[in-house]
Amino acid sequence: MFKKKITFKILLLLIASDVLETAIHFFFKKGALAQSSLNVVDWASAQEFFKAIFASPFLWAGLFTVFTVFIIWSTILSKIDLSVAVPIASFSYIFVPLVSIIFLGERITLLRWAGILFILAGVILVSLSSKERIIQPK
Amino acid sequence: MKEGLLLVLFLIALTSLCDTISQLFLKAAINSLNFVFTLNITKFLKFILQLLIKPWLWLAFVFSVVSLCIWLLVLSKADLNFAFSADSMHCIFIAVASRIILKEKFSSLRWLGTGLIVLGIVFVSLN
Repeated sequence: MFKKKITFKILLLLIASDVLETAIHFFFKKGALAQSSLNVVDWASAQEFFKAIFASPFLWAGLFTVFTVFIIWSTILSKIDLSVAVPIASFSYIFVPLVSIIFLGERITLLRWAGILFILAGVILVSLSSKERIIQPK
Repeated sequence: MKEGLLLVLFLIALTSLCDTISQLFLKAAINSLNFVFTLNITKFLKFILQLLIKPWLWLAFVFSVVSLCIWLLVLSKADLNFAFSADSMHCIFIAVASRIILKEKFSSLRWLGTGLIVLGIVFVSLN
């Protein structure tokens, strides 16, 4: 069975996956932002949009980061349970809005922060509920 | 603005749905192999190679590319913090799909968590 204890190395990996996960969304947003003047209404404009966006270095930086996070995440899951890893990794729900405020100049209302906290709590509960299946195998 | 918000929410639902379908196909591909988790590298590589010839896997790949394209469209229209929070609705789709299609068991804790996510998305969308 898997170990449940989080070692210092695992914690570092979890923090790295949080930070890189946030970076993915930042990169994708940056790539999309440059193309936001294009109004996608039909097939031709969609082709133009995707041609431009796939030429953006930000998009490829994002895809490369997706691959890196996949490797880090697989390493984490080979060491600890999913129900332990997900709540710690869910901090990207806080990091992404923070990055949006600082680097993208977005504004977040108090109501929206409340919503973000509800989502965070929900994701943590859902991941914790998977523990019950492991404790009571058939 | 109201109409724009609805369109963006619809697109986010669509990308979440494609993502869910992709996850289901991936799960179907993996389930068909009866793989037991191991850290043995040769066994693992053999598993990956067997996985690569499964048609389910390629269907999963196609859906995840479609999901990415729609996601990029969303990001060109909406704030990142809003889109990212609303994208958590894929948790709900995956919950419902694994309940109905994969017949996985559901605890009350999981329903509570899913409910909180729905509530959170409503809060994030109000503005």
